[in-house]
Amino acid sequence: MMASLKITRHIVRQYGILLLPVLLLFTSASMAAVSEQTGGSAVPNPGTDLWRAVREGPTPNVGTSQVQSVGSTTLIAESGEKWRTLRRQYMIPWGGWLLAGMLGLIVVFHLVRKAPERFDESSEQWIQRFPGYDRILHWFMAGTFIFLALTGLVLLLGRFLLLPVFGPEAFGAIASACKEGHNLFGPLFMLALVLFLLRFASRNWFTRGDLSWFARGGGMFSGKHPSAGFFNAGEKLLFWSLAFAGAVLCVSGLILLFPQFGQSRELMQTLMLLHALAALGIVAFTFGHIYLATIGVPGSLNAMNTGRVDADWARAHHDRWHRECEEQGLIEKQQS
Amino acid sequence: MNIDMNVMQGFMEKVQQMGQMDVPSKLSDVERVDTARRVKLEKMDAQLAVDLDACVHCGLCAEACHFYLSTKDPKYTPIRKLDLMKRLYRRERSSNRWLYRLYTKDITIEDLQEWEELVYDSCTVCQRCSLICPMGIHIASGVAIMRSAMRAADLMPVEVRLVGQEQGEQGTLFGLGSEQFVQAIEELRKTGLEIPLDEPEADILVLSSVMDVMLFRDTLVSTIKIMNHVGARWTFSSQGYESANFGYMTGDEAWQCAASKRVYDAALACGAKTVIVAECGHSYPALRWDGAELLGKPLPFDVLAPSEFLGREIQAGRLKVKPIGKQKKLTFHDACKHARVGGVVEGPRIVMDALGVDFRETEFHGIENLCCGGGAGNFLINRGMPLRQKAFELKMEQFDATGADAVVVSCDSCMMNFMGGAMMHQYEKPFESLVALVGENLATQR
Amino acid sequence: MFVQFVEGPLWYFSATVFVIGVAVRLLFALRMGTATPLSKPRGSASQGAIRAVFSRFVPRREFRPRMRLEVIAGYAFHLGLFALLFFAAPHIEFYKDYIFGFAWPAMPRWAFIVVSEIAFAGLLVLWLRRMLHPVSRKLSDAGDHIGSILVFMVMLTGCLALDQSHESLRVLHFFLAELLLIYFPFSSLMHTFTFVFSRGYLGASFARHGVKA
Repeated sequence: MMASLKITRHIVRQYGILLLPVLLLFTSASMAAVSEQTGGSAVPNPGTDLWRAVREGPTPNVGTSQVQSVGSTTLIAESGEKWRTLRRQYMIPWGGWLLAGMLGLIVVFHLVRKAPERFDESSEQWIQRFPGYDRILHWFMAGTFIFLALTGLVLLLGRFLLLPVFGPEAFGAIASACKEGHNLFGPLFMLALVLFLLRFASRNWFTRGDLSWFARGGGMFSGKHPSAGFFNAGEKLLFWSLAFAGAVLCVSGLILLFPQFGQSRELMQTLMLLHALAALGIVAFTFGHIYLATIGVPGSLNAMNTGRVDADWARAHHDRWHRECEEQGLIEKQQS
Repeated sequence: MNIDMNVMQGFMEKVQQMGQMDVPSKLSDVERVDTARRVKLEKMDAQLAVDLDACVHCGLCAEACHFYLSTKDPKYTPIRKLDLMKRLYRRERSSNRWLYRLYTKDITIEDLQEWEELVYDSCTVCQRCSLICPMGIHIASGVAIMRSAMRAADLMPVEVRLVGQEQGEQGTLFGLGSEQFVQAIEELRKTGLEIPLDEPEADILVLSSVMDVMLFRDTLVSTIKIMNHVGARWTFSSQGYESANFGYMTGDEAWQCAASKRVYDAALACGAKTVIVAECGHSYPALRWDGAELLGKPLPFDVLAPSEFLGREIQAGRLKVKPIGKQKKLTFHDACKHARVGGVVEGPRIVMDALGVDFRETEFHGIENLCCGGGAGNFLINRGMPLRQKAFELKMEQFDATGADAVVVSCDSCMMNFMGGAMMHQYEKPFESLVALVGENLATQR
Repeated sequence: MFVQFVEGPLWYFSATVFVIGVAVRLLFALRMGTATPLSKPRGSASQGAIRAVFSRFVPRREFRPRMRLEVIAGYAFHLGLFALLFFAAPHIEFYKDYIFGFAWPAMPRWAFIVVSEIAFAGLLVLWLRRMLHPVSRKLSDAGDHIGSILVFMVMLTGCLALDQSHESLRVLHFFLAELLLIYFPFSSLMHTFTFVFSRGYLGASFARHGVKA
């Protein structure tokens, strides 16, 4: 087990960066697909004029219906077209570019930066950073988050990215599976988010030192680490972004998941866009988080893996926390 | 507890010397592995098989083990002590052995050497892990088989082996033989005590132990006083006087059987219907539960632990004690071999109640008690000292939390281990023997 | 082609491996027997055995603070899986058509969703704990992880096929379930059956000694 972990760690460290261009390619391919499909048909539809008249008739174009539900009397919901355009022409390509851009930025940053400092794995001194519950909670959230991100991206981009590759039959199944899976795992993420907020909020309040941390870019460019406590300002920003985006995702997701409470079609459309927007934002942020926690800052992953970090790592990255641990005698000597 | 510190020192030095007395095994490494395999396969039974098949590797057993709790080192996880057993079972006995053999490694001499520490130094066979296991796995019985196999393969701590061998083959323990025992009785008779020895007929055969004779004299004297007080027809035997059974600790059946046989013969000789062992934890299950199995026939007498006997006599009104009063705050340490392994829990509580003291239970007590850390012969293992000290820290916490002035113990091994621990930690709380406490507070008139 | 294979030969093969594998493994273990004890019992062994089989469903009070997460997650997963396995409407239909020939009441769809959420949460937490706790990490072998992953995949594909509009998803679920059936008798998933015996033996031997385990 330990051996396989070590090998995985080695591979991630040595070759992880190679994965980024692949993802980049993947995302840009979707962009190409989007621009191809937005062309439209050349043969005119004979009914066009009639339906245009219906749509442009008295506003709102209300009729009567036996069906008693929201929007049941609307023959053509014009807002749907606006939503469709927004989603297809703006949300999807921009979202794709956002993710691709983030990956590109990370690759460029990794290539131009100075080699990150390494900490001796056989160090004698350790500090307990995250106890078992914290780590289980983190990976529980991470697992559901990644699952939701992947299924969500398939639902958002799949039509342009996967449909041409798999064909309509297979993609139909994939999309159906992703929809069911996305709906199923949503509540699990919600549970994780609530527990996560309860557990970590108190350690993530911004303090005065955080401003100077931001001012110095977290030391990412200079290589000199600005002073930080248990969490640095960047981690706090991620935390609150996650809290905010997560709240938006959960609320909008729930409203979309249960349409039987009389919410209007327009609200659902708006929320769907908002849901995707928040998701794209936090997924892009998470790319940065994953990079920094793995190859970006060597030694960080230990905190979420074994729960213990090297004392030198702690001194370099979280000097104030390290000092507190020192004062409270929490630095453990390695047992031989 | 009043003890002669010179004797204590002498005893400890003797144990330390034994550590350097190892003679190289006559067995080659190949023979050792073969022997260990053979013994394990012989003793493997359906219970162990379903246990090994039921384990889901959840590791909760670690949360019950005093060695894991005090070190947080995952290598001390109880079920891991049966890893070699599991591999052997999978390769040789499981219905899936044709498959398991492809990827389950056979046991090697290195494995056995590594496991020596795990089944001796870091396991007191206290059975606490079986209380937490969701699957109900009897880990301790597997460890007992491991010990037998390790003993047969000459892979065990030399101190425990030498003592077991001495008792099994020569019938003496730490040099104490029949002669020395009779001599000690003579000495005590000179103080005016009436002591029946080798009576041709008796209802109760009372055993002593090398510890009581050499070190805990108060306990021995109290035993005699109590037996005389209750007016029983009792006797010591110069042939079967020793409670301790170090064969039981080593896992060597022949040695264990030899020690039990001496007591069995002595009981039969005087026609005793009851045998009372000394305040020596393991001697109780060794005779009460294992005796009949090893001798191959049911025992024609009852076996009682001292606390069990005291409780019974108090309830029957034959034993009267002077109440000490509530100003005395006492707690009691249940020996794992008495409570969890032996099923003796009520006795000491009845005694405490009769003594009228301010009795305070530790957080974990009765069958849930934390082991002293030195049971199953471990208190003899020199190299295991640091580990036992860690386990003792858990006990200190438990004792301190009660706010009691003293800790009452009814097991010599526990007592030895606590005294050693107290010395190392400069721990002030005194430890007292239950029997001595009763012996010193007997009512003058019945 | 694949569909016919999964619904035909593979189904019969996996069901056979499961039934015979489980029976043989239990038989081989139990036929090793135990010695008849000769010492005078302090309590009834058979009562102790029965008692332990049931009493072990609830952890002893003194250990509860140490295993809260494990107990909650354990129950969430096991009860959830049990409900999904036996009370999901498509499963009951399957049992009726393939095995028993009769049906019983199914739980409503909303209950199915809730139960699967609970089971997923439990399984994920248990599996994460297995990987993150130093003790279980050291104890666990490849078999434990394969078992966890297989069960997870079977549950996941089952839920992905919830829409019931795509044959391929249902067949994928069926296929993975068959793999699980084949893997079952060779893995620690056997605890599904062996726990009764291990608890029983423990309860019996403790009860003989007068200890309520």
